[in-house]
Amino acid sequence: MNKQEIFEALPGLEVPVGSISRGLAQMWGESAAHGRPAPAAEDSKAIQVNFVLLLGLRTTTADAVRQFETAVKFSRRHPSRVVVLCPLPDEAGAKEIRAKVYGECTIGRTKEDTRCCEFVMLCYPASLRTFLENQVSVCLSTDLPLYFWAHGFYSSARMADYNYLMTRSKRMLIDSATAPADALSFPWPRPEAVCDLAHARLLPVRQSLGQFLSRYPMDALCGDLRTVTVTHGSAHPAEARVLLGWVKERMDRCAGNRADYLLKAPEGVPAESLSLIFGYAGKKEFSWKADFKKSHALFEADLGSGRTLLPAAVSLLPAENALSEAMFF
Amino acid sequence: MTSSSNPPSASDAGRHPFLQGLSKHRGAPPTAVVIFGASGDLTARKLIPAVYNLAYDNLLPADFFLVGFGRKEIPDAEFRNLAGAAVKEFSRRELKDEVWKRVAEHTSYVAGAYDDKAAFDRLAAHIKEIEKGVGREVQSLFYISTPPSVFEPILKNLGASGLAERYNGKGHQSKVVIEKPFGRDLASAQELNATLRSVFAETQVYRIDHYLGKETVQDLLVQRFANAIFEPLWNRNFIDSVQITVGEDLGVGTRAGYYEQSGCLRDMIQNHTMQLLTLTAMEPPVSLDAEGVRDEKVKVLKAIQPLALGPSGDVARAQYAAGLIGGKPVPGYLQEAGISAQSATETYAAMRLSINNWRWQGVPFYLRSGKRLPRRVSEIAVQFKRPPGTLFAAEDGRFDLAANTLSFQIQPDEGLSLILNGKIPGLETRMQPVKMSFRYATTFGSNTPEAYERLVLDAMIGDGTLFIRGDETEASWKLCTPVLDFWREQGRNGMESYPAGSWGPAGADALLAKNNHVWRQP
Repeated sequence: MNKQEIFEALPGLEVPVGSISRGLAQMWGESAAHGRPAPAAEDSKAIQVNFVLLLGLRTTTADAVRQFETAVKFSRRHPSRVVVLCPLPDEAGAKEIRAKVYGECTIGRTKEDTRCCEFVMLCYPASLRTFLENQVSVCLSTDLPLYFWAHGFYSSARMADYNYLMTRSKRMLIDSATAPADALSFPWPRPEAVCDLAHARLLPVRQSLGQFLSRYPMDALCGDLRTVTVTHGSAHPAEARVLLGWVKERMDRCAGNRADYLLKAPEGVPAESLSLIFGYAGKKEFSWKADFKKSHALFEADLGSGRTLLPAAVSLLPAENALSEAMFF
Repeated sequence: MTSSSNPPSASDAGRHPFLQGLSKHRGAPPTAVVIFGASGDLTARKLIPAVYNLAYDNLLPADFFLVGFGRKEIPDAEFRNLAGAAVKEFSRRELKDEVWKRVAEHTSYVAGAYDDKAAFDRLAAHIKEIEKGVGREVQSLFYISTPPSVFEPILKNLGASGLAERYNGKGHQSKVVIEKPFGRDLASAQELNATLRSVFAETQVYRIDHYLGKETVQDLLVQRFANAIFEPLWNRNFIDSVQITVGEDLGVGTRAGYYEQSGCLRDMIQNHTMQLLTLTAMEPPVSLDAEGVRDEKVKVLKAIQPLALGPSGDVARAQYAAGLIGGKPVPGYLQEAGISAQSATETYAAMRLSINNWRWQGVPFYLRSGKRLPRRVSEIAVQFKRPPGTLFAAEDGRFDLAANTLSFQIQPDEGLSLILNGKIPGLETRMQPVKMSFRYATTFGSNTPEAYERLVLDAMIGDGTLFIRGDETEASWKLCTPVLDFWREQGRNGMESYPAGSWGPAGADALLAKNNHVWRQP
């Protein structure tokens, strides 16, 4: 594939790399001239964060556009300066860095509620990546916190090219649903700053389960526990793995807990399904079964204090909300 | 990697393992919110929309129940319809059927008189039935949204029916939320507190002042204690004075009956304005937990010196006269429908306070509130002392050296601004004050949670930080009651007037003139 396609497919106005600031000013000027919302000078202070999105070499054009749209939605809520990195493989033959600028303003409920975000897209051959750090630095808004979202990369080891981002970012975001297999165990420079978007997407599930299970003492949950099984449809293997790890980490706090933790993906279950079942030696039981397509879940429990059957609404966080969750919480 | 594998943080210590790692606001227990005054205005405008928006944000537990309680006989289905209509009309978000359906399915109504013990027994049976249905213990949160005249029978019947003591000592023990006014003077505030304490422990009581739920009010503590550039200057060495304004452009409107019994001091100063004062002046709390913050607020109130009354005293009062609001003529207070021509109720009050502690000795705090001011505005303005004027002290007016002023706009246009001195470009050294502004709406958007959403959820999770403790109300009344007594004795003597649409009477200006200060016109 001609990887420049990604750069071409993203919206924006191509500008010389040396004139990115002027290009942004010109873009806003043209927006205002056409009666579209544009920031007044003082509104440029509203930017909250710097946000670098890497669209790695595994990214397809359609996928790139999807992630870009997620970044735009995120920026509508959290006005950001976004730098989108579009690397090209060496064999692509490109010799120069290309740049594009894009911006949009969202008008809220009041005229003061106009928030704007700015995007700078940089397309560069891998051979020029040593110059990239300085180029990225001049595109970012000085003094504001930096977040780095690495998407579609082939190998965790090759991410060393972006060490300057990984070490300076408050958080580095990856998605274990799409990241290479070693991403979860890779010795990242600052492992405490690395967040898994699959974990963030599960927030409503963790909350719903947390609210329900926290009404029972841990002894009631752990006593006689033999198996913890997470079963998932084809759409949610990463979420299932994260959920199982989350439950295990909590159950492991019970002294003497020796349960088996099982991950299952049987054929025939709906793609959007996810369930959690505790198997006990005695009569106790607990199950939570969710169908994200129907936004519906059902708790069934008898943990020694009577039987409970509780339907609940459930969904995974939308991608842009998962970004906020992973960045700020 | 930050995910489930992290050890519990300090703030998670003591929480159930399945809640660790979740924000405390995402851990509300199964709850039945019972609203007394369910057909009232506040319920429709604020409480039901708050519940809806919490459901929208997925912050309510799956086993959440809403129970209306009131004197009118209203079938469950009709109460659900009324609640749905309230969401449509007053919610900050449009009604989304799938969200509302979840709330409506768990919404019911119990009819009964507030002084009828049997009605409260029926309510208790209803809550037990709910519990039986979900098979788990359910927390009861009683929200008293009624006129104060029925606070006492409601509280007593909550006690007599056993509803107040459900699950006492546990995290999901019964809780009660009450709306202001918390008394109308010190004696009645003490009486109300005594009634509350005869039924509930203080940890079960949540006295609501919706100002404390506003983002900008909460931001005040962040600005003060999270910014190294402010905290070192936040004392008598650098601050010249503080002005707190809570103004309305509206007149008395249809609330004449209520307002005649209340007046500006009771309606706004004793509660909202005093809360803003305590947050501005308090010492750093040892922690952000409820008692840590409220202890410091009480200390500030107790350090305020008694007010001098009479001519040249520390207080001013006035009534609005006819004037212009928004370019249109409006009548004076005494000409409003339902207001006696001899009324001695103030629509404007101002006071000069001295806080006698190490930090604030000698720094005047000016408070004012009024109806029919030029615009609706609530702000706190902190004026810093001027720098030594040796460099920029020319007497020919070349140097327009302004005092640095940090102002917090609580509403509207929430944000803060700072006045700095800057050089006017050019060959001559001339200066001009310049304003740096931060606006919430521009940075974070204007569709932020309403104060009631935050406060209802805080009460559900048992966090009292943004609620007023009993001793706070009494300390505030202790300061205000002598003023009310004095004004009552004076009748209309000393009552000033100010034209509607102006910033207040001459007597209020005189309070500041003693220190060569003037009121801001925000």
